[in-house]
Amino acid sequence: MIVPSQPTDITERREAAWKELDQLLEAGRLRRGTASEISRGATLYRQVCRDLSRASQEALPPEVITYLDSLVSRAHSAFYADAGVVWRKWATFIFSDFPREVRRNWASIALSMALFAVPLLVTLLKSAHSKAFAAQMLPIEMLEGMAEAYAGSLSDGRGPDANAAMAGFYVYNNVGIAFRCFASGILFGLGSAFFLVYNGAVTGAVVGYVTGAGSGTNILTFVCGHAPLELTAIVISGAAGLQLGQALLDRQGVGRLHSVWQARAAILAQVMGAAVMLLLAAAVEAFWSPSPVLAEVKWGVSGLILLSVIGFLCFGGRVREAGR
Amino acid sequence: MATRAATQPLGEGDSIAARAASIAGKLDTTLSIETPERVVFSHQLAGPAVRSAAYLLDLLIRGAFLFLVVIGLSIGSIATGRFSGVEAGLVLVLFFGLEWGYFVVFDLLLAGRSPGKRVLGLRVIHESGRPITASESVLRNLLRAADILPFCYAIGLTTMCFDRTFRRLGDLVAGTVVVREPRLRLRNQKVRVARADVPGLPPRPRLTREELAALALFERRATRLGQSRAEELAEILAPKLRARYGLGKVKGVDLLLGLLARASRS
Repeated sequence: MIVPSQPTDITERREAAWKELDQLLEAGRLRRGTASEISRGATLYRQVCRDLSRASQEALPPEVITYLDSLVSRAHSAFYADAGVVWRKWATFIFSDFPREVRRNWASIALSMALFAVPLLVTLLKSAHSKAFAAQMLPIEMLEGMAEAYAGSLSDGRGPDANAAMAGFYVYNNVGIAFRCFASGILFGLGSAFFLVYNGAVTGAVVGYVTGAGSGTNILTFVCGHAPLELTAIVISGAAGLQLGQALLDRQGVGRLHSVWQARAAILAQVMGAAVMLLLAAAVEAFWSPSPVLAEVKWGVSGLILLSVIGFLCFGGRVREAGR
Repeated sequence: MATRAATQPLGEGDSIAARAASIAGKLDTTLSIETPERVVFSHQLAGPAVRSAAYLLDLLIRGAFLFLVVIGLSIGSIATGRFSGVEAGLVLVLFFGLEWGYFVVFDLLLAGRSPGKRVLGLRVIHESGRPITASESVLRNLLRAADILPFCYAIGLTTMCFDRTFRRLGDLVAGTVVVREPRLRLRNQKVRVARADVPGLPPRPRLTREELAALALFERRATRLGQSRAEELAEILAPKLRARYGLGKVKGVDLLLGLLARASRS
């Protein structure tokens, strides 16, 4: 006995609703639509969810299931989306969480500082005494160029145009270095350690060589304004990378990934804070450092910036304990 | 996150279809997600090839944009006869923004889709199926600096190839996956095969999801197969089913289609 085939009638009955949801999604009406559109979308979404359940239970053609799968996943994405960027949250992140996390992770900050400062001081002292040592570290043409650049005093400044061009360069170069210094920490902290030592050694070699060439005062007067911001930020972003490596290695009884996930909000706060500091540093380095003001004023401002950085990192985000 | 039940032990009594589904669960590149509506849907994961293509597309878009801006600024400075450093500074800041901010901005604007991903129907989502948040996007895109090492995303591609859900380092840290999200259109192909009614089958045979799916697939293929090939294919499953329902010599194709007809009768 032959019975007529049973076409998958659920498709026929429900297709109009599926298409309606598809169109709402494609027009982005579930996120930016009117109240009635969103409400209609929600109803349709629940219906399609039910259709998908039924489709999987019954013997529906696989492409109908695939179609419903994709429709439900798209609607799910639209409905359960984040509220978007909450700027106030990010402000708290930078102004409170960032200094708090720096204090809480003081050990990795100290290690990062050592990894950066020790090579810096070693190469600085050695290059100041021996040009050959500096030439081993960096191309001699580049070092001579640097020495020449700092040979004259900054009494007539650089001009606003050159300043603007350099500002762009500092943003591109310095923030990029800090981000790389952080990200490579995922290689069990080794990448961050490498970049910290490398950047410290190169910085030391340049300053040492220029000092050896007799322009030590000029270069230090130039860098004194932005150095407190820039060097601190590099150290912090390197420390964030070391923390990433630490979370991978010392996983406190949870899986490696979960260990990283537990640490990531703290790490992100430090990286973002360091990035903001580097943007400030870029502005100072481009517009203040080359300005023809007296060296005494520059050193005074440098001291103020250093004190504010220390003050912010030590006291930012502290909450007064209740009852005091 | 519930991944497809691939590891449940299979006993002697399990159907061939269940075995096949179990193997498919291990091989399939899908991610199953249970929604608050208690519905499980699955995402097709995007592999290294299509993701590389999307990346190259994004690279091209950024390159073209930067090129146009530089050309525009150059024409401007030639026309005014003076070149100012402000433009050079702007180009460098733009360069920085395109390198580090491009993906984050589009992740937030287009809910996890950079223009390249959008063209190829890909989307970044959190492993739980919800769209990614700003901080997840920032982390996953900062970690590009590690994935790109030592050249051409070598670390990222290697990590992807060893991970079951194709995650690069940035995805691992941010807890995200990249899925295919094509906008499918429903083509209504009605299957019109005469289903023979096999006497002796239970009025509503209880079949597992996998068995139903296998039978439905067989029905679709049977329309395009020669009779002897269809019979040959049916015989893979038929002996087990004959034994289960205690049937004698009924043709394999008839048995399968008959079973499907009774099971999907509503």
